[in-house]
Amino acid sequence: MDAPLYLRPRVEPPLAGLLTDRHFLHSLVDALGSPLNVLLPEAVAENAARFRTVYDRHHLTGRVYFAHKANRSSALLRRLAAEDPAAVGVDVASVAELRHALGCGFTGDRIMATGPKDAAFLWLAARVGATVNLDSPGELERLSGLVRAHGFGRVAVLVRLSGFEHASGREGAGTRLLSRRSRFGTPVQGAEALLSALERNAETVEFVGAAYHLDTTGLEEKARALEQCVLFMDECRARGLSPRALDIGGGFGVGYVAEAEEWERWTTALTEAVLGVRPPLTWRGHGYGLRNEGGTVRGAAALYPAHRPTAGPGYLDELLSLPAPVLGRHTATLLLEHLHDLHIEPGRSLVDQCGLSLARVLDVRPADPDSGQYLVHLAMNAGDMSLEEHGVLVDPVLLPRGGTTAAVDGEAVGVYLTGNLCLEGDLLTRRLVHLPRLPVAGDLLAFVNTAGYAMDFHAHRAQRQPVARTVAVERRGESWNWCPDEDYWPITPVGEQPDEV
Amino acid sequence: MRYDSITEAIGNTPLVRIDPAVHGLRNIDLYAKLEMLNPFGSVKDRPAWHMARPHLEAATDAEGTVVELSSGNTAKALALLAGMHGVRFKSVTNRMRVPEIKELLLLIGAEIEELPGRSECLDPTDTDDPLTHFHRALSDPGSTYLHTDQYFNPRNVEAHAEGTGPEIVKDLDGRAPDWFIACVGTAGSSTGVARVLREHDPRVRVLGLVAHKSDFIPGIRTIDEVHQVGLFDPATYDTIESVTSDEAIDGMITLIRRCGLLSGPTGGAAYQGAVRQLRYADEELDGTGQRRTAVFIVCDRAESYLSYVRQRRPELLGRTGRGRSAVAVTGAEARAEARVIGVDDARRWSAEGDPRPLVVDLRSPHAYAALHIEGSVNIVDEVFEDLLRGGLPFSKRTPVLLACPVGEKSLRYAAALSRMGHPDVRSLAGGIVAWRDAGAPLVRE
Repeated sequence: MDAPLYLRPRVEPPLAGLLTDRHFLHSLVDALGSPLNVLLPEAVAENAARFRTVYDRHHLTGRVYFAHKANRSSALLRRLAAEDPAAVGVDVASVAELRHALGCGFTGDRIMATGPKDAAFLWLAARVGATVNLDSPGELERLSGLVRAHGFGRVAVLVRLSGFEHASGREGAGTRLLSRRSRFGTPVQGAEALLSALERNAETVEFVGAAYHLDTTGLEEKARALEQCVLFMDECRARGLSPRALDIGGGFGVGYVAEAEEWERWTTALTEAVLGVRPPLTWRGHGYGLRNEGGTVRGAAALYPAHRPTAGPGYLDELLSLPAPVLGRHTATLLLEHLHDLHIEPGRSLVDQCGLSLARVLDVRPADPDSGQYLVHLAMNAGDMSLEEHGVLVDPVLLPRGGTTAAVDGEAVGVYLTGNLCLEGDLLTRRLVHLPRLPVAGDLLAFVNTAGYAMDFHAHRAQRQPVARTVAVERRGESWNWCPDEDYWPITPVGEQPDEV
Repeated sequence: MRYDSITEAIGNTPLVRIDPAVHGLRNIDLYAKLEMLNPFGSVKDRPAWHMARPHLEAATDAEGTVVELSSGNTAKALALLAGMHGVRFKSVTNRMRVPEIKELLLLIGAEIEELPGRSECLDPTDTDDPLTHFHRALSDPGSTYLHTDQYFNPRNVEAHAEGTGPEIVKDLDGRAPDWFIACVGTAGSSTGVARVLREHDPRVRVLGLVAHKSDFIPGIRTIDEVHQVGLFDPATYDTIESVTSDEAIDGMITLIRRCGLLSGPTGGAAYQGAVRQLRYADEELDGTGQRRTAVFIVCDRAESYLSYVRQRRPELLGRTGRGRSAVAVTGAEARAEARVIGVDDARRWSAEGDPRPLVVDLRSPHAYAALHIEGSVNIVDEVFEDLLRGGLPFSKRTPVLLACPVGEKSLRYAAALSRMGHPDVRSLAGGIVAWRDAGAPLVRE
């Protein structure tokens, strides 16, 4: 076999400490079954603080909104609810998420309602005084109608803008920076209708600012959008409106793989495998979107850039330090000088290092007689841990059951991780995963850093397999304590009854 | 030399020997093929003209647009050629990372389309990259695009097989060199030249240089990216090695400072990669009495890469300080030396002071225009910084109130002005933000 192609995960404290407590993790799965999701609520608060540090560095005010859809946990939400109300909020995209946020202790004024909205969602958002992130003039009219019909107070609204690449005359002559088309938001050059709707409905809605969310890792695209929103808000001021917040969405990213070198080696090997100059690295030669056309590689790899030198707060810092394409000032300076608050909505990067997904090994057998590769059958399926769905490639960590059993010594081995559904396609990863030794039945595999979009994003009850339970854990002295996700409250040590107040 | 058109000046570039005292090879003569001396400044002049010529000479009604996926030299050459023939040129790229090249292209009249960044929330069923859309647009019926397609067009290779390669053989008195070293971008020059040299002597060894995977050298592809090039055939090369941007700049500096060759980083990479590789062969030749020859390509010139160098090796462009600077006042010094004034006192002072203070708003003109303190003047901080280098910009009899967004920059400038002898300069505590938050009026004029 060639040298093993590891993609070992980036693991930082306190998650790193939790992983070393093999006995504790095994006891959790023994009690609660496989699969099992484990969350560290304290880590999410630390991440929020890291984002705030970037705000402070640039003298900016405004809120960090947790994008609820990244993880449905109560523990994470309650822990964030305990943070400074002026600094941390939650972004909800359905009426159920809104109810959950309220139930976890967020007051309406800390909640931002985004995404497609039905009448119930709009009504509850307006009722509790949430900020509504408007997608279109039509949505504004519907909201306004509700406010009038039910006699609510004015509702704070942001307007979500899009289509920044088509704005004319504001870029360097002859340069056009393209963007992927989004199905959300109002095109910025069609904002006139939106502005007059805002003016017409001034007694029902309070216009507090503009928003954008771009699905791209490109900093330049985001800086351009940010500047155009500032210019847009300036036009609003000229018309007598007084917006004061700019919401720049999320997409700050997470680095999943620890070593750049491993990531580079693997992606190069994928290209070579697609070209046929080395054996496949994937189940049935899957190319992740790359294809071989007459010896030339075509297509784009549908892979999340799993090793990232800067992500999360670092990425925000870079964005804020970038010069704006027209006005030339750094984007942070632009916001500061125009007296705008900055709102962000990090989903994935706010739950970086906040959780892991555990799966029990059920069975191990050779994939075929001569390859030296194995099928490792897990009590978990691709819906329970959907890293692959998002193109995130990273190795699980093997947690042997025994002390120094045979499984502990051994050689690196390439395995395919198969799920517990009776479907050929149910693989935890379509990639040949290298593990430092062959697992045996009863061992655990820990998928690290799965709190964002991965641990239960696609989980369902089809085929009646158990859906993962979720627990919150906390370090106390020398040991880890746990409680069910739904029993976590930030006021009580984990695993204890709340004191009487 | 008298020409009817600048295109006649393409090709016939010199082959210049590198002084052995510079490269240190005892048994190998190393030559640089100076493609930077082509009229538009690079090796790409050849394929650009060879690919575009049949179309441009046929374009009588000056309609249509030449398009190419190029971040640099091919775009530059094509834009100039298109301009000469009254045709437009558009470059589509996501690699335009060198600002001088971008600005030069705009000066020449090119349109630039920059491709979007990668998706953050991946949709794995959507593997349609932006380039697929680009190709679809090209093949639209009624499209007037003329795609030179440098990564797949055999005329790219031909340009070098007919020009660059034979010129090297001619200048080496009818012999092929023992080694040929080229950086791989479109693979056009390495493939075309290698073909001709091997026809002369099948023993020629060809070294292809690519960029280290996580690195960026303008004009060179990484080992993964070369596989996306239709002209790339691994069989062309005896060896493929990678070079880093550090090595490219080292090589570039050697060529510039010791050889008088004003090479860009790609030429530097070729030189550095060549010497690194040839050193072993040179040692083996010691004592055999044999001499060998090697040729590398200097792709283009240094001028367009100053910001590239500034970003990676600022010390090479070291600047000396420009005198007094408010930045030189530390935060602690500013807090100790500057006078501050709260919003309420500042409002009273600016309304009732005798004389009234001059209020200076240090924000950008755009922000100032949006909202400012009535009666204030706007001197943006960068300009203010320059003003201070010349001396005190206000009369000492005029009190000054400095305002910036949160009172941090104004504090430093207040300290700097005090040091320069101004008796009454104060910084607005908390800045314009505090002013607004206190409900004090801001106007828009």
